[in-house]
Amino acid sequence: MEGLNFNLIDISYLDLIISLGLIIVAAGISKWQGMYLEGDLIVGAVRTFIQLLAVGYILKYIFAFDRWYLIIFIILIMIIIASLTVTQRQKKRTIELPFIVGFAMTAGSGITVFVVTQILLQIKPWYEPHYLIPLAGMVIGNSMNGSTLAIDRIDSEIKSRKMEIEAYLALGATARQAAGASIRAAMRAAMIPTINSMMVVGIVALPGMMTGQILSGTSPLIAVKYQIIIMYMIALSVAISSYLLTNIRFNRYFTSDHRLKEESL
Amino acid sequence: MNKPKIELHKIEKIKNGITILKDINLKFSSGKRHILIGPSGAGKTTLLRLLNRMDEPTFGEILYDGKNFKDIPVLDLRRRIGMVFQIPIIFDGSVKDNLTVPYRLRVIPSPIKQDELIKILELSGLQSDFLERKASELSVGEKQRLTVARALINKPDVLLLDEPTSALDHAAGIKLLESIKELNEVLGLTIIMVTHQLEYASLLGGRIIHLVNGTIVREQESEDFFLNSEII
Ligand SMILES: Nc1ncnc2c1ncn2[C@@H]1O[C@H](COP(=O)(O)OP(=O)(O)O)[C@@H](O)[C@H]1O
Ligand SMILES: [Mg+2]
Repeated sequence: MEGLNFNLIDISYLDLIISLGLIIVAAGISKWQGMYLEGDLIVGAVRTFIQLLAVGYILKYIFAFDRWYLIIFIILIMIIIASLTVTQRQKKRTIELPFIVGFAMTAGSGITVFVVTQILLQIKPWYEPHYLIPLAGMVIGNSMNGSTLAIDRIDSEIKSRKMEIEAYLALGATARQAAGASIRAAMRAAMIPTINSMMVVGIVALPGMMTGQILSGTSPLIAVKYQIIIMYMIALSVAISSYLLTNIRFNRYFTSDHRLKEESL
Repeated sequence: MNKPKIELHKIEKIKNGITILKDINLKFSSGKRHILIGPSGAGKTTLLRLLNRMDEPTFGEILYDGKNFKDIPVLDLRRRIGMVFQIPIIFDGSVKDNLTVPYRLRVIPSPIKQDELIKILELSGLQSDFLERKASELSVGEKQRLTVARALINKPDVLLLDEPTSALDHAAGIKLLESIKELNEVLGLTIIMVTHQLEYASLLGGRIIHLVNGTIVREQESEDFFLNSEII
């Protein structure tokens, strides 16, 4: 690694506890100004502390254990949790929804992570967790937001375009053709945040992963190159997963003989 | 008597446990005009939507040219049975963009020639210079004519119309009805129109089917129907 003359300061647990003072001050402002957010701030701070420390220990163990099946297992867990999170945000939950989301996210992140780690970077061994875990995590996290947007949007589009959809069906269009405008709108809604963040990355905000790399001593140029690839990976995985998700999801509004199911709206 | 184009046998429609149509037996004759009349909530829309399979009957069967509906691919059926809705539904773009939708969706295999587009437009009561106009800028009456024209692009045998005049003012309504009558007379199109206005029914003429509470209470030729129409 292109090491700079830079000594990483380790953070002690005492440092962490002292840093809680930042939250206490924030809570004080909340109380003083009547924001009623003191409770949430404290709970949030404690959760951040516990969740991240737990993840840190798990990752430390995984990196040390260094077995491919454990790493794949962890990535699967990430996809399952992401799928359940997406499902939980939906008003119209169906039994199959977490499976559809899981499938779409596995395909979207699987393809992009595979291409980048195996074909582009050619990491050795192929499951090298220092690459696989953070890359998969970034991609899955963003696909999760994209998937939520895609489902929300296709549901609301089909509802609001009901009459237009029936007009298409009455002309002899297939269900997929009649829902075409809704599907396209949902895919666009899923993609737009990713495109926006590509437009302003580095100008408005430094991505967290890049910040982390720089802090831990990586040359900013290397960190930036990784970040560029990550942005592209996110774009492709969101595109794949929102494409799959919307094209599967619209079916629940139609019968196999191209009728709009009134009761599903 | 012409041969039946569409036949309904013992049709019953139940929605959310409520019987909306019961024991409907009907024959719609080929090349004839038919009017479904009845008060609001009688089940006219529900019945019409069964005729191009936008909905399915709960019981009973429907035949098209003597063939069971279920044995005809639904997309073919809808190409042969066009539908005009109560509120005109216009797609984005120009009048021409609207009319070329069936080709762009490959419902019909080849593009429609310009002179044919104009012919269909004129049959529907719009002038040829409408083609390039933005569809969203038409008046409501013109929009409804456009949806009629658009339904004709597939060259259907039957045209279903659900209160096509209800969003239109009186003069535009009368004009539209005259066009519909002409479509029947010029193209031999079988017409099935829903209305709850007697005036429009008598203006269009044809077979009147009077629906009340989900059942047919009377079925007569319009001349006979209006001889004793105080019953409605
Ligand atoms: N989804 C539904 N569930 C229960 N009843 C319905 C539903 N849709 C329509 N209806 C009822 O069916 C009846 C007939 O409706 P409709 O066919 O629209 O009547 P019309 O077109 O003659 O005014 C009405 O009483 C209406 O309230
Ligand atoms: Mg109605």
